[in-house]
Amino acid sequence: MTLIMVVDDDQDLAEMLGIVLTGAGFEVDLVNRGDEVMDLFRAQTPDLVLLDVMLPGINGNEVARLIREESMVPIVMLTAKGDTHDVVLGLEAGADDYMVKPFNPSELVARIKTRLRRVISETAGGLKIGDIAIDQLAHSIMREGKVIPLTRLEFDLLVALAKEPGRVFTREALLNEVWGYRHATDTRLVNVHVQRLRSKVETDPENPELIVTVRGVGYKAGVPGSKEQ
Amino acid sequence: MTAEKRRWRNSLVWRVTGNSVLLSLGIIWLVGSALLSQISTGIFNEKLNNSISDSETSARSIEVQIAVAQFQNDAAVKKSVDQMISIASLNGATAGREIALLHFPVVKPVTNNLERTSNLLSPASVPDSLRTLVRTKTGSHWERTKIRYLGGKVEDGIAVGSRIEIPRAGTYELYFLYQLNSQANTVNLIRTSLWFTGLALLILIGLVTWLVIRQVVIPIREAAEIAEQLSAGDLGRRMEVHGENEIARLGSSFNEMALSMQQQISRLENLSRLQQRFVSDVSHELRTPLTTIRMASEVINASRGSFNSKVARSAELLIAQIDRFERLLADLLEVSRFDAEAAVMVTEPVDIIQLLKRTVDYLHPSRDKIIHIYSPLEPVIIDADSRRIERIFRNLITNALDHCEGEPIDITIVESEDAVAIGVRDYGVGFQEKDSARLFDRFWRADPARARVRGGTGLGLSIALEDAKLHHGTLEAWGRLRRGAHFVLTIPKSAGVEIVSHPIPVLPPSELSPILFETDDEEL
Repeated sequence: MTLIMVVDDDQDLAEMLGIVLTGAGFEVDLVNRGDEVMDLFRAQTPDLVLLDVMLPGINGNEVARLIREESMVPIVMLTAKGDTHDVVLGLEAGADDYMVKPFNPSELVARIKTRLRRVISETAGGLKIGDIAIDQLAHSIMREGKVIPLTRLEFDLLVALAKEPGRVFTREALLNEVWGYRHATDTRLVNVHVQRLRSKVETDPENPELIVTVRGVGYKAGVPGSKEQ
Repeated sequence: MTAEKRRWRNSLVWRVTGNSVLLSLGIIWLVGSALLSQISTGIFNEKLNNSISDSETSARSIEVQIAVAQFQNDAAVKKSVDQMISIASLNGATAGREIALLHFPVVKPVTNNLERTSNLLSPASVPDSLRTLVRTKTGSHWERTKIRYLGGKVEDGIAVGSRIEIPRAGTYELYFLYQLNSQANTVNLIRTSLWFTGLALLILIGLVTWLVIRQVVIPIREAAEIAEQLSAGDLGRRMEVHGENEIARLGSSFNEMALSMQQQISRLENLSRLQQRFVSDVSHELRTPLTTIRMASEVINASRGSFNSKVARSAELLIAQIDRFERLLADLLEVSRFDAEAAVMVTEPVDIIQLLKRTVDYLHPSRDKIIHIYSPLEPVIIDADSRRIERIFRNLITNALDHCEGEPIDITIVESEDAVAIGVRDYGVGFQEKDSARLFDRFWRADPARARVRGGTGLGLSIALEDAKLHHGTLEAWGRLRRGAHFVLTIPKSAGVEIVSHPIPVLPPSELSPILFETDDEEL
């Protein structure tokens, strides 16, 4: 059974989320306070965390940061504010995705499924991007024999780009492929995660060589040393 | 001309200093000239009086000597006259006096000419006018003259003359000529020192004015600079206040004004912050229960099949109204964000054609397309907030779809050097010309009696307008009843730059020719 931890201070909403998610076949753990999350998280090791931003105790962004310190578990933020500032704060704290209240329950379930899905590639062989080797079976990446820890989303993002080295991905295409959005122009999500991924895999994140920005369009996998912009 | 004016205006110090120097120059000139002329007249008059009395004394002594001497013959007369002239000449040498004994022309002695002058003095030194005066009137007369020597030297001087009777020789004219050298030197000296004094005074006046004006102007300049900084938003700036003079009063009242301004502004800022806070709180407080309601309704709706028809329809209506409520809430929050000026732009390079095509595909995915897009083949990449631009597109296209009545919709993209314009033209119900201004008002409806179409919130166009303004762009509308509408969005290619050109005119080209009949058409 897949265990989802739902952190929300509104008891009714938490209960409703429980109903919807159990209906979709998940197991659900309900938490009402931010400062109770970590103990339960360590005890239960959920497969995904649904996290409200406004929480008593510690706020959701801080909880996301604490979880990220010890786990790569997918985190989806639930926020009442769709302002860029609030969204980016959550993403920078380590959330993989966010949903603005009031969200559509089927949309929520679809997003959760995307975050939980394991991409099983047909060709089990290793992908490469620059000097980084991607092991799709083990879900890990290595540079010079050293493992670089990535969240599952960051891994998916890197794989998406590495699978088609020549292709320029629009932000919308990435949203579709990696986040499972059907229609969205929320480029903040892509931008923040590309920044996070760069900070982990690029040797010089200020001058990225592996994940290259194509102005006005999107991103593509770069060839290090070729100096193309 | 304007630059010149500005330089003057910019420097009150220089203008006042210049003006006072000019005025002082005039005054010094007048006073100096008057002083100089008075002094030189005085000096001249003294010399003249001295000269006249000297000449009268000398003439009398010569007359006495001649009267005393008993001349035996012409030679003796000549010798005696020579002697007298040379003695008189010697006596007056230090005073710069010359003597001329000239013949009185009425009785002309042929044999014994006694005409004499001292020290090679030219007889022409005595002006004719003076000679005429001496001949016609008795007594001594004077006149200014040039003293000429036979060597060619010329000196300024006074000539004093009178008649003299010489026995055996007749009447002669005796002239004493006095040089004015030393007087001229004195006057020159005075003039030079007056010049220097005037000049020094002028420079001093300029300097003093400059210093004094600077004392006044520097605080004013400081006030101006601080006022500029205040208006640039640095509300904490204040003037320094020294002492209790008028400048200090200016400073303290200026500071009071700045303080009350700062208080007022921070009060308004506080209000606006409260408002934003309130909006944000309302957002959270309303959205959380709405989420629960929404999820509950979806769960209910999912098992609609097991309900009887009335309950099933109620579930449908519930879902639809929750959707509408959600849209209304989102739009209201957006509007209040604009009102609180809390709307933030996040710009990035975006291909406007791609964005438009995606929006059209999303809103109108059906096969029998009625929306036609006319756009350049190349991508048009601009700096913009893609979320807001997409929202404008969505609002304009939804509006067109709501009012097109099945007629096609034409969307045009035209770019210019600095801007890109997107025109959305439909041929549906349109609106009256007089309504074009109110179209963007919140909750405005062309015909209040007409049923709401498709459940729009009534805020779409007003949000679109705010989004356009945020981009420093424009959103214009043209429309006629039953002839459709044309909405044109124009935004700058670089974020925040004012647009100059409007690549698409809001009046559609197809409406250009029948413009004459328009008014009649409207009346029908």
